[in-house]
Amino acid sequence: MISEQAKQRMRELAARYPVARSAVMPALYIAQAEEGYVSRAALEAVAEVLNMTVDDVESVATFYTMYYQRPPGKKVIKVCNSISCYLRGCDALIEQLERRLRIKRGETSPDGRYTLLTVECLASCGTAPVLQVNDEFVENLTPELVDRLVDQWEAEFQAEGQSQGRSPAGAGGC
Amino acid sequence: MPELIITKHIDVPGIDRLSVYRQYGGYEALEKALREYQPEEIVELVKKSGLRGRGGAGFPTGMKWGFLAKNEPRYLCCNCDESEPGTFKDRMLMEKNPHQLVEGVIITSYACRVSTAFIYVRGELAYAARQVQRAVDEAYAAGYIGKNILGSGYSLDVIVHRGAGAYICGEESALMESLEGRRGYPRLKPPFPAAVGLYGGPTVINNCETLSTVPAIVRNGADWYASFGTEKSKGTRIFCLSGHVKKPGNYELPLGTPLRTLIYDEQYGGGILGDKQLKAVIPGGSSTFILGADKIDTPLDFESVAAAGSMLGSGGVIVMHEDTCIVDAVLRMTEFYRDESCGKCTPCREGTYWLVQLLERIEHGHGKMSDIDLLLDICDNISGKSFCPLGDAATSSITSSIKLFREEYEYHVREGCCMVGPKARKPAAAAL
Amino acid sequence: MAEEAKNDGLVHLTIDGIPVAVPPGTLVWAAAKQAGIEIPIYCYHPKMPPLGACRMCFVEIEKMPKPPQTACTTPVSEGMVVHTKTEKVLKARRGTLEFLLINHPLDCPICDKGGECDLQDFTLRHGPGATRFDLRKRHYPKPIPVSDRVLLDRERCILCQRCTRFCSEISMDNGLVMINRGYRMEVGTAPGQAFDSIFSGNTVEICPVGALTSAKYRFKARPWELKRIPSVCNNCSVGCNVRIDVRVDKIMRQMSRCNDDIDDGWLCDRGRWDFDYVNDAQRLRTPLVRRQPGGVLEPAGWGEALGMIAERLRTIKERYGASAIGGIGSTRTTNEEAYLFQKLLREALGTPNVDHHHGFFPGLRDPLTERPWMLTTAIADFERASHIVLVASDPYERQPILNLRIKKALKAGARIYVVNESPTELDRLATRVIRLPQHGAGAAARLLLEAALRQENLRNPSEEVRTRVLGTPQETRQAEALCGAETTAALRELAREIAAAPAALILYDEMATLAPGCANLAPDLQALAVITGNIDRPGAGVGPLFEDANSLGARDMGLLPDSLPGYRPASPAGLSYQEMLTSDAVKALYIMGANPARHLADGNLRRGKEFIVVQEILLTESAQQADVVLPALSYAEKDGSMTNVDHHVQAIRRALRPLPGARADWEILMDLAALLGHPWSYEGPEDVLLEIAAQHPLYQGLTWEGLGLQGVRTGEVEVAHA
Repeated sequence: MISEQAKQRMRELAARYPVARSAVMPALYIAQAEEGYVSRAALEAVAEVLNMTVDDVESVATFYTMYYQRPPGKKVIKVCNSISCYLRGCDALIEQLERRLRIKRGETSPDGRYTLLTVECLASCGTAPVLQVNDEFVENLTPELVDRLVDQWEAEFQAEGQSQGRSPAGAGGC
Repeated sequence: MPELIITKHIDVPGIDRLSVYRQYGGYEALEKALREYQPEEIVELVKKSGLRGRGGAGFPTGMKWGFLAKNEPRYLCCNCDESEPGTFKDRMLMEKNPHQLVEGVIITSYACRVSTAFIYVRGELAYAARQVQRAVDEAYAAGYIGKNILGSGYSLDVIVHRGAGAYICGEESALMESLEGRRGYPRLKPPFPAAVGLYGGPTVINNCETLSTVPAIVRNGADWYASFGTEKSKGTRIFCLSGHVKKPGNYELPLGTPLRTLIYDEQYGGGILGDKQLKAVIPGGSSTFILGADKIDTPLDFESVAAAGSMLGSGGVIVMHEDTCIVDAVLRMTEFYRDESCGKCTPCREGTYWLVQLLERIEHGHGKMSDIDLLLDICDNISGKSFCPLGDAATSSITSSIKLFREEYEYHVREGCCMVGPKARKPAAAAL
Repeated sequence: MAEEAKNDGLVHLTIDGIPVAVPPGTLVWAAAKQAGIEIPIYCYHPKMPPLGACRMCFVEIEKMPKPPQTACTTPVSEGMVVHTKTEKVLKARRGTLEFLLINHPLDCPICDKGGECDLQDFTLRHGPGATRFDLRKRHYPKPIPVSDRVLLDRERCILCQRCTRFCSEISMDNGLVMINRGYRMEVGTAPGQAFDSIFSGNTVEICPVGALTSAKYRFKARPWELKRIPSVCNNCSVGCNVRIDVRVDKIMRQMSRCNDDIDDGWLCDRGRWDFDYVNDAQRLRTPLVRRQPGGVLEPAGWGEALGMIAERLRTIKERYGASAIGGIGSTRTTNEEAYLFQKLLREALGTPNVDHHHGFFPGLRDPLTERPWMLTTAIADFERASHIVLVASDPYERQPILNLRIKKALKAGARIYVVNESPTELDRLATRVIRLPQHGAGAAARLLLEAALRQENLRNPSEEVRTRVLGTPQETRQAEALCGAETTAALRELAREIAAAPAALILYDEMATLAPGCANLAPDLQALAVITGNIDRPGAGVGPLFEDANSLGARDMGLLPDSLPGYRPASPAGLSYQEMLTSDAVKALYIMGANPARHLADGNLRRGKEFIVVQEILLTESAQQADVVLPALSYAEKDGSMTNVDHHVQAIRRALRPLPGARADWEILMDLAALLGHPWSYEGPEDVLLEIAAQHPLYQGLTWEGLGLQGVRTGEVEVAHA
């Protein structure tokens, strides 16, 4: 469910714009931050606050690629595969990530840790190839850097699992 | 190294904070504008400076402001939805020197008598959006934005709005639709935004780099700015150099600087990666026509690049060396347009879907010789027929590459594999 | 410079060499249509703003940059020279059609739309003969239901957005929307959400291909098998124009037949799809008579049935007097039948007791305006209102197409105020929703009127109203107590807005006047409009929204105890509907096309009645209690006129062969009149209409032919001084 605080933030945003409906995109971000994706509850909360129908909100949400239609992994890895990154060898790095994360592009790992996406140009062509982890950039990628990144993520999940006093599902296979 | 304008202070540590920005003359232009100029005088100043839009179309900025209808409320949209493949200047300007942009937004809003300005930041650029938001917050706190700015009686509200993943929202009318909380479909023109724009009000819409240039023009004068560049392409602009060069990156150069200088000069590109031969250059982002290596001495200004058969566009210079399979590269760019087509109009939505499948077939060695002319005919049925320029853009790399490298397409069909690059001269079955 | 404009206020241009003159603002597409030139379109719909998405309507316009241009987005200009058949244009259209077909399943042989499909037709006329696409088509699961009534085939869809734009621009409920984008774009709803709109059928109708189909019509007929008859919907008082599509004497579907003054080209789902009773296997096919008291209803011949009626009514009249006979007429039969019904009762049987089920309006006319109780404005003029106040009325549920007109007004800038007991569909779009307690509408009307009377600068102050309302403060206090402080304050604020409004339109539901405490609902709201000057100005008005297709016609024709046709006072006045049903003095009831048993608490019609006749289509609760049941015809099987809520008199036309054994109500009434010694000489409803026209100021000059295909709206102004 979407919290009352989140709805309150949506209402404040709606008041900030000349027309309340303009807040639909930031409101969807707020809802997604709570639900992880644009869930039914997210659609209903945004629709309610902005006086739209859920279909209308769905229509807007599905136009933009950054609103997730399904729950994504904890780490969403977006690798640019547009022309400049392509010229600098992004394809091999994507394959490397597919091997290391044991998922294909477009998939989420069964343990819910990773979603691997290929995306269009991320405006980082001067530091290509490039990826984003949960919307933060990692630039000038090399095979070594990709390996280090995956190791680091695995270590983070490991630590998280231990701090919770149990081994996360699927950790043994990594 | 020639004098820099927009990126002059870009690497000053802490320039993204108001205190440092002010040490380097920040917001002096705003104070000058409010103190010394009537709004219309700034419009005239910018007209005189010869500044042209840095988003892609290169429309004279001052003239655009002059077209604004007189009714109120009016709006300013700053287009920071940088998404054109090969372009990464706005991101740098937002991340590193956001106050320069914010100052440009305020001055422009004043010049156009705008009461609410929006900075539409591409969704993927989360850090840039945070930087701009922080700069806006600091500017509010310092009295540069808000009610009665610096005692001038002029008031302005600035809202930073994040996109959420849609290239089409870089098209000005789609951006306004998106700001209004709708799907980012381009709107019918006319009416143009200057007459009926955001929320139906007169709206001025400018690119991030364009507005980042405005403070320097106000500070130093129109003549000073016009002294850079060429007769018709005044000033400097940021060229985004990427692809097969040794030193990719953003380089601010006066307009008219030869392409060769940008790519080969040690201060800039430093030459082709691995010292290979240059094959082709896309001079203005992936929407512009590909130029052959023979155009290496083209001066980078609006007119010369047009004369060479392409467009200066967004300033994204993409370099391809001899090992680049042109069909694969073009396929990659066409996939972009297929994925980013908004779907509103038939030719762009269906045409790009078809083009990608045809290019895939040729690239993978299953094409027919007739596919090459079919590609051109599909491009002809899209170009000039689509609702907005995205459809046209999708065809640029195809038509220009077939013109320049037709034999490479034919090779794919005849031999079932690439002519150059890692997949060259292998049987089709093995090439995957 | 274009050549100097001719001084006729029109724009002059040539299209393919043909000179055309059209009003300024006309689109090139419409100008071409006027010149008889077809320019193919998909996304454009004349009732919606231009979109320019399908890229089908290409033309070449001289002196315009970058040809070709789209005809549906380009307004005409003086001296424009348009070419619709240049090689550039033809190639561009072929290109678009080829694009549209690359992902199309080409399942025309089993597609409902085949034969009336714009994709088929335009491909034939403008398309390439063959495709060059030999790659993978986009696939979706075959039709998915988007509601119980509408199915969506996304493979056939050409993404023209007509349906979704209907939902955003016209019905404003955003039920169907575009989902995803680019080549993955599809029509749809939010996950798990049904396309729940009373207007959903319009999307099926305006779909240019077979993507949206109706569950009711799917696989029922091919378009070329259908006989198409222009008629009028019989479902509510709006009177939307329909085309009845018939195959082998069965209604297959009803389509909109655009009447800009009434329906604006739209139909609600009830009007479109609720016609099953016409085709019902349970339709009455023979008269039924109860030969012994307490016996069962048995089939009988027409002679026996009519003879029994004549004889029994004569007997009752002899024994108890004529006023022991009561006649209950219908709100859904034609004007001609209603007229003959009261004529039969009043002239042939001599009883003053004639009525029908309707709302409560004191007297024949509103005492302030001296007009009959009816809407003072035209439906089309709703669009010019600045304020629309809906008191105890919910057009979405009861007169759906008026809801669309109200939304059109909203788009034009009108503010909507909903004053109602329960939530309505318009609440979401309303400027203000004022929630009333149960049966609070009368109190609300009182408070509105009282507050308006206290306004200064009233446009039309009425001493009479002032005395009546301000002289009874205890009634105002009761109304305040019922509504509560908050609602009272909101109503007073609304009254101030109405008084200051450039053009307020005040609407109330006819049947709301029957609720307890609502006896003054109609006169109070009429008075509110009169004193605030919201009458006889463009967009302003007041009036009841009637229940049924011919509710207003029934009043006009004198199916009222105190009124003869034309609102001439009846003397003496007869008994009312309720009185006839409950009075022991009434021994015989003649009921035509009504079901009063539903309005009695125990449903028992027979209390104190010796003889009951019911003319009906089906064996209703009332028919089951009758002594004689006469099988009648539906609206689809006969000719006649009906009068809608804003007094359009319109023709319904016979679309089906009459059901064997059943007869039109007017035929039955004529036969019975003859048996009662009153041989009428009408050859058909046309003759009856002429008689009505001769007697009734509101029908003056009307003829059957004169009604034409779009009807005639007759004014009430003459009546006020008649």
